[in-house]
Amino acid sequence: MPNSFHLEIIATDRIFYQGECEHLVITALDGLLGIMAGHEPLVTVLPTGELKYMTGGVWHYAAISEGFIQVMPDKSIILADSCELPEEIDIKRAEEARQRAEERMRQKQSIQEYYQTQSALNRAINRLKVSQKHFR
Amino acid sequence: MPNMREIRERIASIQQILKITNAMYLMSSSKLKKARKSLEDTEPYFYKLQETIESVLEHTPHIRQRYFDKRSDIPPEKHQKGYVVITADKGLCGSYNHNILKFTEQKLAEAGNPENCHLFVLGQVGRMYFQRSMREKKFSVDSEFLYTTQNPTLYRAMEIAQLVLEKFENRQLDEVNLLYTDMINSNLQETRQVRLLPFERRHFGKAPDGTMKRMPKASFAPSPERVMDFLIPQYAKGIIYGAMVEAFCCEQQSRMTAMDSATSSAKDMIKDLSLLYNRARQASITQEITEVVSGANGLAE
Repeated sequence: MPNSFHLEIIATDRIFYQGECEHLVITALDGLLGIMAGHEPLVTVLPTGELKYMTGGVWHYAAISEGFIQVMPDKSIILADSCELPEEIDIKRAEEARQRAEERMRQKQSIQEYYQTQSALNRAINRLKVSQKHFR
Repeated sequence: MPNMREIRERIASIQQILKITNAMYLMSSSKLKKARKSLEDTEPYFYKLQETIESVLEHTPHIRQRYFDKRSDIPPEKHQKGYVVITADKGLCGSYNHNILKFTEQKLAEAGNPENCHLFVLGQVGRMYFQRSMREKKFSVDSEFLYTTQNPTLYRAMEIAQLVLEKFENRQLDEVNLLYTDMINSNLQETRQVRLLPFERRHFGKAPDGTMKRMPKASFAPSPERVMDFLIPQYAKGIIYGAMVEAFCCEQQSRMTAMDSATSSAKDMIKDLSLLYNRARQASITQEITEVVSGANGLAE
């Protein structure tokens, strides 16, 4: 049994990663999910969260916002709205986005606006978290 | 003989316009390049997305999905039809706007009863045009649907997709079409209609009878319905974004062509006018000399 599988991470604006991977850990709706070679075929939704994958014995981390993963016997594909390495994250921008979203949360808004603000806030907090955790 | 000053002013004003058209030409060519690039960047995502939806559908042939509801309980002539029309924000782009507006009118005429037609217009020009003709033609234009076509973003596409999907779910709309201009190559553009909702299985490139390509059976977490609920809006967003970018490219392309021909005809005009100007100048010099000479002659006598 091979100990690595092909992984493709595709964001809407670019191909984030394409290549071999030994171990992949994603945040699914109900918690962390680890995927190794030979995982059963699976399709699931990924909320905004953190992602890590191991190549050549080294863990790589990334912040991911809404997407989904398709696991197939020969390869896995992650499609996401955006995907960033910790060092790519603009902390200042994320912080501003967080403050803006928090400010908007305090206002009265329609339900749709509320959801939009909430997901914007989630994205900002997630970016900050990932970048603080893995990048100093 | 035309007045020299008049010609000079005319030449100056044409030169001013020439500068403007030339600048607009350059601007639209750089915008076109940018839009093309963003389309290329997002393409792999949408191809993969389409593949995934195909494979999800394959595993769940029985799934009763609300976005696949053909509304067969309502007779087709009573269907509430929504049209998302993409036009430009301003003119000065040749026949681009004219073509898409005429195309839309033709589709509205084909749709039969205009009272069941609801327009969602992107871009100033189209919105103004349809709001003006709205009352006599009896279709409705959503006046709160205010989106620009400049620099299409995924975020805007998402908002539009959400709005349309929500109206479809609430049964305010029974079908949604997308009307836009597609770029075939840099000289050829074509207005096009794409069915957005309800989704049809054949959209995903396969027959319903099991002659499709083999995909391993997959499990869905938490459930196929949840996954589809996520995928369908994403897919709608993808189609809308693609159409927005195509239309934006077409707009810039037509503006480039229009501005290019404006620039060259301005140059032609300047050429003709400077010829005229030189002639007038020559004539006035000749006249002056004649006057001086005849004056001198008069003095000498």
